[in-house]
Amino acid sequence: LNATLWRQQEDAQMATDQSADVVVVGTGVVGCLIAEQALDAGLSVLMLEAGPRVDRSRIVENYRKLPPSIRLGHWDAPYPPEPWAPHLETRRAKEQEQYLQLEGPNARAYLQGYVRYAGGATWHWAGLSWRITPEDMRLKSLYGVGRDWPFEYDVLEPYYTRAEYAIGVCGPSDPALQWPANTKRSKPYPMGPIPFGPGERRLTEVAAKLGMINLHAPQARNSGAAYDGRPACCGTNNCFPVCPLAAKYDASSALPKIEAKGGKILVNAVVYRIETGEKNAIEAVYYFDPVKRSQRVTGKIFVIACNGIETPKLLLLSKDERNPNGVANSSDQVGRNMMDQPKLTVRLELQEPLWTGVGPVQSSSIVGTSQGDFRSRYAGALFRMENFARSPLGAAAALKKGLVGKALDTEIRRISACTAQLTVEHEILPSPDNRLTLSNKKDWLGINKPNIYYDVGDYVRRSAKEYTVPRLQELAAGLGATSFQLSPEFLNSDHIMGGCIMGADAATSVVDPDCRAHDHHNLFLPGGGAMPSGTALNSTLSMAALALKAGDALVDQLRHG
Amino acid sequence: MLFAKQIGQQIEKLSALNASLAEQVADLLAIARKKNARIVEDFFPGLPDGPLKETALAIISAWYLGVVTDAPDAAVFTYAYALMYQPTKDVMTIPSYAISAPNAWSAEAPPLSNMPEF
Repeated sequence: LNATLWRQQEDAQMATDQSADVVVVGTGVVGCLIAEQALDAGLSVLMLEAGPRVDRSRIVENYRKLPPSIRLGHWDAPYPPEPWAPHLETRRAKEQEQYLQLEGPNARAYLQGYVRYAGGATWHWAGLSWRITPEDMRLKSLYGVGRDWPFEYDVLEPYYTRAEYAIGVCGPSDPALQWPANTKRSKPYPMGPIPFGPGERRLTEVAAKLGMINLHAPQARNSGAAYDGRPACCGTNNCFPVCPLAAKYDASSALPKIEAKGGKILVNAVVYRIETGEKNAIEAVYYFDPVKRSQRVTGKIFVIACNGIETPKLLLLSKDERNPNGVANSSDQVGRNMMDQPKLTVRLELQEPLWTGVGPVQSSSIVGTSQGDFRSRYAGALFRMENFARSPLGAAAALKKGLVGKALDTEIRRISACTAQLTVEHEILPSPDNRLTLSNKKDWLGINKPNIYYDVGDYVRRSAKEYTVPRLQELAAGLGATSFQLSPEFLNSDHIMGGCIMGADAATSVVDPDCRAHDHHNLFLPGGGAMPSGTALNSTLSMAALALKAGDALVDQLRHG
Repeated sequence: MLFAKQIGQQIEKLSALNASLAEQVADLLAIARKKNARIVEDFFPGLPDGPLKETALAIISAWYLGVVTDAPDAAVFTYAYALMYQPTKDVMTIPSYAISAPNAWSAEAPPLSNMPEF
């Protein structure tokens, strides 16, 4: 770090009051939604971010400078971490083992990508914004597996609507084509759906013949018009690793709004300890600056929203005399029940051109397959065709054949058009054995790295064998596939859930229905970590809805005590 | 093509790995001239297997991929002008560049035989 720049930043930080009504750790979608809500209610807000704040243009430039084989599949690569805020790096095999310490039969499936930059993982999320269904919230009651949520869908619905307007979600207006289908919504989507490209249209036709409905995915992408000061999607087909336009919501675009409302954002501030006091209230959080000086930040309410891995890690790091298992952990559930959607992918070669790559990289999904009475035996699942432009893959494959001239161009065009990747993401059940603990290995600042044991379980394995792989084969046959290459093991979906699980009973859960820690009245742990069921669908909109619900609760708490 | 000369110079500069590059390029040019080659097919089939042909393929690969060697640390000398995007440019965008006006892209699948001019 440049010394002069660092000094300037330090002066700026010291000039800031290191106290606020609401202290928010993390600047992703959850932290940003709560910060804005608190500011709108007239409260002071201080946000702490472990990583740097970087311009969008820099990320786009980083992306374009990646070698072609790294541009696809290495979504972390345009986001080199600062030494004090490490996250997963996958560019080289050796780097991949550095930060996340993984073990268990499906260690590979917990190789979670997230970004420790201001804006968080929304920088490289796909933007898919599914609601979960009433049934998804009652797994135990209906199917005898997993956990029930401590409230019903009707309670969550208004927060879903508010989240859809807050981050700008586009989607169909026909209730039959919405998800959950034909279910009451308090408002329509703020924008209509994004149109399909040729590949998605074809998949939709093929799936329909098999009784599967490929829906326009609700997505936090501006459809046909600007929304909330951000421009409309122009099909740059680069939603991950970065939308160059900010047509897709990402939390980084929310930061200037937060500052305009008086919120303070400290970057390069790595929170490493939560301090408790009388009545087990949270008194302060401590952070390291990049030269490892410790700073203390006080507040009335604390929100820890630094993602499904970093939040439980911080709680475990903060154990003290009152909380010998870690903060918020009298139930011993912090760091347990780690979930994601275990994913399988299949590469297809096709006789006829399909043409993916037109429109967003993910814009539709088959989700009806996530529901049914079979869930008493095996996992529901979401099916999707990846819609990224396959021209770089076509070029690499055609060049390997030693072709030149027109033969090379013809083969690039053929492979780019006549190949596809289908994905299936499974619902995993919360299991106490899937557990995050503190590794003995330390990071650059001397903070324990997270260690995660992960087994997708028989529930998921049975689903793959009896249900999802056969359905993938049907879809592949319908598309006219001549080859079918299934991934040899389950992979990560980057939807981190469960580590601060919600419930009505303080003995078996970490947070209450408002994401407030059972053990600490002024500590909120909203986001994916709180979700009692993972479902087969992308988790962000549920995280955003829980953030807004927690935001209401904390504003109410500060106003009325 | 725009910037073709500059891109060619970049490839040359980045090809430090091959000490014989200048010599081999001269040999390839001599063969091409001898055959009055206007396109690569006019001279490529006549190249003997071995270092000269490998270098010719490496140069072609660099023009298509925008890197000399597609390794994790490779320096990219062009992104948007890499030829790999050209054979599908009637359908797919170059990722991170807009394909059309908002929501104005097409769901029509053109035939493979409609190779774009480039």
